Amino acid sequence: MGNIDELINKLAQDSTAVKRASHPFLLGSEWMVAALIYLAVALLLSGARHDLWLELHKPWFVAELAALAGILICTSLSAALLSYPDLHQKRSIAFSPIAAFVLFVLVMLFAWRADNPPAPLPVHSFECTLSISLVSLLPAAWTFHVMRKFASTHSRWAGGIACLFAFSVGALWLRLYEQNDSIMHVIRWHYLPMAGAGIAGMWLGKRVLKW
Amino acid sequence: MTGATDNLNTLMGQSLAGDQRAYAALLREISRLLRPFLANRLSFTNEVDDLLQEILISIHKARHTYDGNRPCKPWIYAIAKFRLQDHLRAHYSDQLHHADDLSEWEDYLHGDVTGTAISYESISGEVEKLPEKQATILRLMHQEGYTAKQVAEMIGMKESAVKVAAHRAYKVLREKLER
Repeated sequence: MGNIDELINKLAQDSTAVKRASHPFLLGSEWMVAALIYLAVALLLSGARHDLWLELHKPWFVAELAALAGILICTSLSAALLSYPDLHQKRSIAFSPIAAFVLFVLVMLFAWRADNPPAPLPVHSFECTLSISLVSLLPAAWTFHVMRKFASTHSRWAGGIACLFAFSVGALWLRLYEQNDSIMHVIRWHYLPMAGAGIAGMWLGKRVLKW
Repeated sequence: MTGATDNLNTLMGQSLAGDQRAYAALLREISRLLRPFLANRLSFTNEVDDLLQEILISIHKARHTYDGNRPCKPWIYAIAKFRLQDHLRAHYSDQLHHADDLSEWEDYLHGDVTGTAISYESISGEVEKLPEKQATILRLMHQEGYTAKQVAEMIGMKESAVKVAAHRAYKVLREKLER
């Protein structure tokens, strides 16, 4: 008991006025804007696919992009909320990426059914995963760096969601850059590795977001 | 209850503005709030004190994540539960790490209970001085001859938890008997 009193006195003596952390929605919005700028710069440097205008007239391609953008929005808000010990008391929004993923899986399922006869598989394979990973590295590092300034009590989830956020940026970039219509290819080499990145993020989150 | 919550919110607001006296009062109030919460979940008083100190330090580190616009208690309890889980995880992983020691102790005690050097009856006085749960477990295992699994079923605990509790009791008994 004496130790507790001593500790309280010491902590009180050390305390000064505290700059309060930004609201999670503001933080998430900042991440989204930064992601969009990064995406625009990446596309400017790499160039967009030549048939992008034509592709944007295909409903399943647009639905896929919209679902991917939905993942980006949900994961950025969720990662921001998961940075707070009490999830800013908005638990349902913090776990909204689950709904976004269900929607995305449904869209991919319909897009796959609509891909008939199937578009030819491109000759490359793992290069796509590698490209997405490289493009996602910077957003992932930045997100983890910012999240470390907070106090997550769900470090595994926070790490997983942060990685999914970063990989959704990379996946969007590649879908707008790579001239490829094979749904099987994008599922296998774009989106399944993205799920793997989420799992790796859980492992990373436990270590990096420790406080 | 609402008064106490309002008081916490007010103290928190003043603390964030840099009022050291309000901050000390807030931490005392939090200690008062969390002590029974932890005592209900941990066996030993010294564990409660250690963990309470850890939680207060965590609250100090994370206080910038509270903005004063939402209830304070869920924020405090989120940090307390997080540290409690950490503590329990570390505690049980440590116990599992010493699982070999436990089996050695069990062999040793089984041998001695039936042997001539130490019988359960000769140390039953010391056993009764142990916390109630540990004393019950030792009585059932060494006086009535139940296995850890049977004891676990009888008192509604996991078998591993029974073994851990027994191991703690053996340790305390050994220290007392070696004096």
